[in-house]
Amino acid sequence: MPTATPRARSQPKGAAPASRPERVHRSPWKALFTFRARARADLEVRIGVAAFVVVIGTWLLTTELGFIKSQFLPSPIAVVRALWGLFENGYIRDIGISVGRVWGAFLAAAVIAIPLGILMSSYRGVGAFTEPLVDFVRYLPVPALVPLTLIWLGIGEGSKIALLWIGTFFQLVLLVADDARRVPKEFIETGRTLGANDFALMKDVLIRAMLPSTVDSLRITLGWCWTYLLIAEIVASNSGIGYELWTARRYGKTPEVFAGILTIGIIGLASDQAIRALHRRCFRYLA
Amino acid sequence: MTQMTESQFIAFRDVTKVFEAAAGDDIEVVEPLSLTIARGEFVVFVGPSGCGKTTVMRMVGGLETPSTGTITLNGKVVDRPSREKGMVFQSYSSFPWLTVFGNVRFGLKYRRDVSAAEKDRIARHYLDLVGLTPFADFYVNRISGGMRQRVAIARTLAADPLALLMDEPFGALDALTRERLQLQLLELQRAERKTVIFVTHDVDEAVLLADRIVVFSARPARVLRDIQVAGELPPERDFEISENPAFRRLRQEVLGLLRSEEERAEQAGLAAAS
Repeated sequence: MPTATPRARSQPKGAAPASRPERVHRSPWKALFTFRARARADLEVRIGVAAFVVVIGTWLLTTELGFIKSQFLPSPIAVVRALWGLFENGYIRDIGISVGRVWGAFLAAAVIAIPLGILMSSYRGVGAFTEPLVDFVRYLPVPALVPLTLIWLGIGEGSKIALLWIGTFFQLVLLVADDARRVPKEFIETGRTLGANDFALMKDVLIRAMLPSTVDSLRITLGWCWTYLLIAEIVASNSGIGYELWTARRYGKTPEVFAGILTIGIIGLASDQAIRALHRRCFRYLA
Repeated sequence: MTQMTESQFIAFRDVTKVFEAAAGDDIEVVEPLSLTIARGEFVVFVGPSGCGKTTVMRMVGGLETPSTGTITLNGKVVDRPSREKGMVFQSYSSFPWLTVFGNVRFGLKYRRDVSAAEKDRIARHYLDLVGLTPFADFYVNRISGGMRQRVAIARTLAADPLALLMDEPFGALDALTRERLQLQLLELQRAERKTVIFVTHDVDEAVLLADRIVVFSARPARVLRDIQVAGELPPERDFEISENPAFRRLRQEVLGLLRSEEERAEQAGLAAAS
């Protein structure tokens, strides 16, 4: 790293430098494209916004100038108009229903997966018993289970929640077990030599140590939950974002299809950012 | 009996350890070991790396079970980890989700014999003893590695263990920090009269700290020599002591043992491989 500028070097020897050598000026933009360098957060945000501007701008240009038939790709203006139209016809209710399904199934999965994942990694007996079963179900494609959930639970909310739960739970439980397994054994042994019993170790040491990575696991599986929601709502439903999306397709209303996709993207982005913010707030000690 | 538990505060009786590897390929880690440690003694285990000295110490802590034989602490057979056997590790020694004070206070968390207010007082006392009171509210990733080890030592002392087991606690620190912590540890040990087992592969550290050095052979661990340092060096020590002829002689003795042991193990390894 150059610490002296040419000017500083050309100063006569012995002469006490009156002013400190000028700091080498480096563009903060350069760090963004230097291998593994740290960059300024505000620049990262600006680039993120620019990505949206580029995509939407290109979209706007190609559609408004008529390069692509609006039947395939409607202009963003038409999509916003479609979105407006949907909201005027009670779209908020569909959004509420979809969000409710996702969170209902997601929380039901988390409430069981977190304790079970911890037990699986902590007691080999529990792990040996459950891991093969969980692995088996995990590799079943969720859509393959749609007929079964319909036969067992009908076309009500039950079958949808069950489908989302199956899709989320079996992935989450293994992620949580891994999070627990990665807790350094020194933490556990320190707890033991300070007199903690098994329950106290799990409560006061293991969960505290794994919590940051578990919140990340939850954030990732929440995304998958939305995938299964669409399947559930397309196959058998008369409400929700997926239902609206599929109905719009049936009538060839491409702007409405795009509006549906956009809704899911925005909700996904918002909840992901919310969990990230929560992560930063709750785990300040990691900073 | 009391007299005996004083001189045999920690006692190994014919202790062996065999790790079961796959396909019945058992690895003998510790040969039959009989050793006694007196109350208040500062014993340092040295030996070639991977020789099993850490395993010997972990068995005292109840974190490993002997394959045969027994270990007693204060007359009681060690069969599980407990608050009586405090451990200080080299890494992950303190909890990142707790503050410095929270970490020290955690040492008292499972004590039922003291009230909450008393726990706070004891935690503050040990925090002060290791000189970290100004950092009480810092999370441990905000403080240096040396400070983190002081947090771990304070936490372990706050739990009031019978024996303090330290597994290369200063191994990851820079030379200056390490020196300072060594002297601080000695001072603490003299003040608290704790029985300490300290594992290291740093010979200078061993001689500086020890009342007694136990030199182990390469795996399977066997006592090569049991050296009384207490008679040769004064109990009060500082860095001047490295100028002491007895210090240099002890250092040479331990180094010589380790060198010839490494060589022997290497030869044996070669012979086994060919």
